Amino acid sequence: MIHSATSNDDELILDVDHVWKIYCRNLKRSMRYGMRDLGREVFGNGRDRTQSDLRPGEFCAVKDAHFQVRSGECVGMLGPNGAGKSSMLKLINGLIKPDSGTITIRGSVGAMIELGTGFNPVLSGRENIYINGSILGISKSEIDAQFEAVVEFAELGHVIDSPIMTYSTGMKMRLGFSIGANLRPKLLLIDEVLAVGDVGFRMKCFAHLRKLVEEGVCIILVTHAVGMLNRVATRSVVFDRGSIIHDGDLETGCVVYEETMGASDRVGNKGKSKAQPSTTGVALAAVEVVDLNGNANKEFETGQDVVVKVEVSSDRPAKQLNLVAALWSPVHGRIASMSTASQNVEFDVAGHVTVTVTLRFEKVPLLLGAYHFNLSLYGPVSTDFHHRVSGVGNFRIVGPPTCSLGRGINGIVKMSHQWKIK
Amino acid sequence: MIAAFRSTKGYYGQVGLRKKQKYVNSNISINKITRYSAESDVRNPIKLLGDIAADAWSGRDLAWRLFLRNVRGMYRQTFLGLFWAFLPPIANTAVWIFLRQQGVFDTGEMTVNATLYILTGMILWQSFADAVMMPLKVLNQNKGMISKLRFSREALVILGLGEVFFDLAIRMLLLIPAFVWFGVSLSWAMLLAPLTIALMVVWASGIGLLLMPIGSLYQDVGRFLQLAIPFWMIITPIIYVAPETLPGSLLVWLNPASPLLLFSRDLILVGGSSFLLPAVLVGLMSVPLFLLGLVVFRISIPVLVERMST
Repeated sequence: MIHSATSNDDELILDVDHVWKIYCRNLKRSMRYGMRDLGREVFGNGRDRTQSDLRPGEFCAVKDAHFQVRSGECVGMLGPNGAGKSSMLKLINGLIKPDSGTITIRGSVGAMIELGTGFNPVLSGRENIYINGSILGISKSEIDAQFEAVVEFAELGHVIDSPIMTYSTGMKMRLGFSIGANLRPKLLLIDEVLAVGDVGFRMKCFAHLRKLVEEGVCIILVTHAVGMLNRVATRSVVFDRGSIIHDGDLETGCVVYEETMGASDRVGNKGKSKAQPSTTGVALAAVEVVDLNGNANKEFETGQDVVVKVEVSSDRPAKQLNLVAALWSPVHGRIASMSTASQNVEFDVAGHVTVTVTLRFEKVPLLLGAYHFNLSLYGPVSTDFHHRVSGVGNFRIVGPPTCSLGRGINGIVKMSHQWKIK
Repeated sequence: MIAAFRSTKGYYGQVGLRKKQKYVNSNISINKITRYSAESDVRNPIKLLGDIAADAWSGRDLAWRLFLRNVRGMYRQTFLGLFWAFLPPIANTAVWIFLRQQGVFDTGEMTVNATLYILTGMILWQSFADAVMMPLKVLNQNKGMISKLRFSREALVILGLGEVFFDLAIRMLLLIPAFVWFGVSLSWAMLLAPLTIALMVVWASGIGLLLMPIGSLYQDVGRFLQLAIPFWMIITPIIYVAPETLPGSLLVWLNPASPLLLFSRDLILVGGSSFLLPAVLVGLMSVPLFLLGLVVFRISIPVLVERMST
């Protein structure tokens, strides 16, 4: 709840209170519903609608979203495409209305949603700075005062009087970001606009955002570039199919996001593992990830032991079986592959008996992220295929934190290494 | 919960504050509270009108910038420049004068020069038609901005009105040489014409604003208007003298384009008019209709943005 008390360091700036947003995918129906909704608005009959009030063809783009942002926080909003992030941003920005729930904001809202909105290609960069600035809510006198800084930030002083149509896409985006950089709202919404220019310019953008956060500006940052988030964000809210599935620290959020990406890779079975029935009667019956004590676990830290237990069942005797395990990251793809045959471990299964195969990773070197296995079961030769399951044995590495700022370790694995200076 | 807020601003209620808050550094002193919910804004009409007024005021700078952008952008890539603004009424008038001289249609008995009569009517009609189409035009031209960014929506209406009045003013310049050429004597009543013309534009914009939401959802409206406007011009007494007896006089009484247009033309050309009563009636309705149109425009934008983005 946002109170009207005097401001303090951790004052509540944004309160998203059980918000729902409903869309319709069918164009004709959407137009028809639009007419009805317009009628309701005009005659003052707007009312709360949630999942139970869906009309044919409608779906919930945002389901019961509930989170808060306090002064000086920078929140990364993550989620796969269609998860509801952009809808949430539009709701906070007041572009669309919630169908249920309330959004309360203390102070002004600024948005960098699409860089260079309103640019006229025929007009010069100079003229377009004033146009875009006005659209963002910056007055002429304010732009006059900041004009040189904008041009310098964009590094476009040499072409500022040329028509925008002669600029490259990167130059236009740089100019757009530089104009938006002059916004000083209480809450700044940024949607996928940080892929601007070269590395040097991107770092400048991040430095600018960090400065804003230090000044007390709240930032909500929507991006798919998870690796860049920890340059500025301290917290994450992860959306999946309209619902918030994580609201908390950034590291866990990034891992949860990776898991949702993995789930969307395995679409068709809604994030569950993908398995086809065995044609030979020899099957991978169950997969479980456990810790050293044999307790089921899904969260580990880098350097801990991870054990995967695979149950192989068969309705007939099978000899010299070879199990192939591929370790996958939803973001990076296949990390490693290993087989029982590579260590000369072959096993047999008697009819109607289950055998448990254990795969142990000592001091797992994996860094923060979500991981899973694709398993395949073969006979003595690689053409004797029995069974395959994908997306099983999901687990997360949840610590220690990594650092993409060049001040720690980062990447997929922790490599043993030593630096020496002569 | 709501009772704890010092003030609650309704939908779009905070745009008016934005300007004050820019460039205020970390110690932002203005902490107005904005609240969005499913509740219809029309439930609090006084506040809604207040918000519209505040946003219209705060959006004037943006409207001016966009106006300059459009005008400069439109003429910078042309060789003839502003001549293109003069061309439509000149060409239309020339065609109708030619057809009249060929006896294709009967204009009735005119008390003033036919060329001047048709030219003035054409200029006013063009502005009336532009004003009717204006809301749909500004919405379609600025869809990208509307669906991505929050800014004063009223600025778009101000921009549209500005463009209509700008084009009207340029076309009106044509009347100066025409008045000199045809020896039209000036009268005090002419001074009233800018007011009645402004009311005509406001009236037409009000019609356009009410049509805009439906026109944005269903393209049929835009297509119908494009098709209907030339016919509408024919049934409006622009190229012929308004009939004074039934059923022809209904063209004045039942045609929303006629009263203020004909009255304004009479004021400009002869300094007085027999269309005073219908013009006063429509004139009195024009501002309320425009305000109603503004309300509908404002509250329909979120519903339309949803459809732009899905």
